[in-house]
Amino acid sequence: MEEYYLICEDSLEGIFTGIYDAYLKKKPHGQIHLCVGEEDNYRLFAVYETCMPDDTKAARVAGTILKKMGNEAYMAVCRALASAAEDKAEAVYKTVVAGLSMKRPGQVMGDLRNPYIHRVFELARFTANEAHYHVEFLRFRELESGILYAPMGPKNNVITFIVPHFADRLPLENFVIHDTLRNIFALHPARKNWYLVSGDEEMSRIEHPISPEEKKYSELFSAFFHTIPIKERKNYGLQRNMLPLRYRDYMTEFQGK
Amino acid sequence: MESNLIVHNHENQSLMEKLRILSDAAKYDVSCSSSGVGRRGDGTGIGNTLAAGICHSFGADGRCISLLKVLFTNECIYDCKYCINRRSNDVPRASFTPDEICELTIQFYRRNYIEGLFLSSGIFYTPDYTMELIYEAVYKLRTVYRFQGYIHVKAIPGADPHLIQRLGLLADRMSVNLELPTAEGLKRLAPNKHRKNILTPMRQIQQGITQNKNEIAVYRHAPSFVSAGQSTQMIIGATPESDFQIMTVAESLYRKFELKRVYYSAFVSVNADRELPALPSGPPLLREHRLYQADWLLRFYGFEAGELLTEEKPNFNVFLDPKADWALRHLEQFPVEINRADYRTLLRVPGIGVKSAQRIVRARRSGSLNFDNLKKIGVTLKRALYFITCNGKMMYPTRMEEDYITRNLVGEKEKLPFDRDGMTYRQLSIFDFASEEKGQWKNII
Repeated sequence: MEEYYLICEDSLEGIFTGIYDAYLKKKPHGQIHLCVGEEDNYRLFAVYETCMPDDTKAARVAGTILKKMGNEAYMAVCRALASAAEDKAEAVYKTVVAGLSMKRPGQVMGDLRNPYIHRVFELARFTANEAHYHVEFLRFRELESGILYAPMGPKNNVITFIVPHFADRLPLENFVIHDTLRNIFALHPARKNWYLVSGDEEMSRIEHPISPEEKKYSELFSAFFHTIPIKERKNYGLQRNMLPLRYRDYMTEFQGK
Repeated sequence: MESNLIVHNHENQSLMEKLRILSDAAKYDVSCSSSGVGRRGDGTGIGNTLAAGICHSFGADGRCISLLKVLFTNECIYDCKYCINRRSNDVPRASFTPDEICELTIQFYRRNYIEGLFLSSGIFYTPDYTMELIYEAVYKLRTVYRFQGYIHVKAIPGADPHLIQRLGLLADRMSVNLELPTAEGLKRLAPNKHRKNILTPMRQIQQGITQNKNEIAVYRHAPSFVSAGQSTQMIIGATPESDFQIMTVAESLYRKFELKRVYYSAFVSVNADRELPALPSGPPLLREHRLYQADWLLRFYGFEAGELLTEEKPNFNVFLDPKADWALRHLEQFPVEINRADYRTLLRVPGIGVKSAQRIVRARRSGSLNFDNLKKIGVTLKRALYFITCNGKMMYPTRMEEDYITRNLVGEKEKLPFDRDGMTYRQLSIFDFASEEKGQWKNII
């Protein structure tokens, strides 16, 4: 029995194209596997193919998922694909297969008995949780130019999930959210739509001077942050559970400690 | 608003000093939630709200920091025995101006430090005067600064109902603190406050919310009144009420006053007073935790206070959470079959929460579930296994005996939010009673 491995580009388009090509093979889905990036451990008797991302194919797959399986499954798939896990392509592919073969494809995400669906559920939850953490813990600083700048370093590629929240919240501000690990910038000019820019190495290292007001308010907030806890209830364990250490590198109130 | 309301003393204090004093004075107020209303920004100002609420940081005590929680002033004409700001205390006093509050809120908000403003106040001159000060600040924040984020304000008991009505149209949430679970306790510890004065604005806000819902049903753009609902808090452990009394009060607040939340605040001893208990082992955190667990059972799990506690058994079990405690006293209703039991029954199983119950109901539509599936769904099997079957089989052969299961459940260390950093709960020993009595003896002198 021949096994096929389709190697996709690590992006929404790349993996959706992979799913399209997998269906094109017209072989049992059990024999086809999707993976992202370079495989470092090639199997014997398996055929490896590389998929070139193709916007038209990807759009058709996205359309099918949205139309047949509904918004819940579509969002779960998008979130799962934003994760950094290596098995995400395979899990999403097999979830799509399972969903399309169900009597009620809209209920696909409910069938947590299926290991692939469970995996997509898990990955999507991780991304959603991390996105929510960034909505909570992202910190803007005001630069000399009046622009608000917020750096972050998420494990999953969450930037597209969080910018709409801030764009709705701060419509009159010029702000930049910067994923320092992937070097992606989300730019929001005041009163206009936001967009993504992927930066180069140089851009991530530029230190922009902050505005004079910035020092005042960051100190005020740090003071507030240290006054508000009740010392009789001190509980660092609970604090760590609620606010994991890795977010604190970017947070105003934990600087200089 | 009249501009002559501005408080004139403490003019030399810096904003930093004021913020320190007035946030320190506000920290014993528990509520910091920013939930209950989802509202998108209209593009002309700053801010929106999320129905689920957003925490923005967590302090060293592990409590969420969501709102800029400050008092307008910590000057107070009242002398409540448990309160750090009582008139007879010699503490530094300060007052904000409305502009200072607005600037702080906006500047913190645009940096994503906070989700909005929580404004409370000591009683300055009169309840009406205080309420006017709060109104002026909130009015300015909403209209001049075009702030559309979350605002939680205290309704001051005894203030003019018209003021409360006007403030309610600007605020997302309002709260009146019940302070103590019973009228007797209030009389003893807060001689200037009266139960009736507390319940009157609570009723007024409730009626305002109901009326507003009807208005919005007819006129979609009618201004909304306290759209995130009202909440209250009571201090636990300062007066001798039982858990049963507290839960009964909470239940009637939810039912009769339609509150969104009741907060329980473990009594922190900040003043030495002979009316107050000495708490040598710190605030009663475990008791507070059990009350919250029971509160959740009332609001999301379909329990009633009378099921969890009774006159004969008026306090929660220290070693078991209220749900497991209930289940052990009702073993005749178990085990339940996971693949058949309805949602309400599943919710009553220890180890199954709201999310896992929902997932079970959904997942079993595509086929029957086994224990492995349950684990993946998120059920805590080490607690649930005594109470459930999958396709007629229990996970392990177990005896349906109260003592046997109790032993096993107590043996599994319960995950408490405060058993680290040395905050453990010791069993009471004879020495504790001795030291407690010694403390009381000291107070009597």
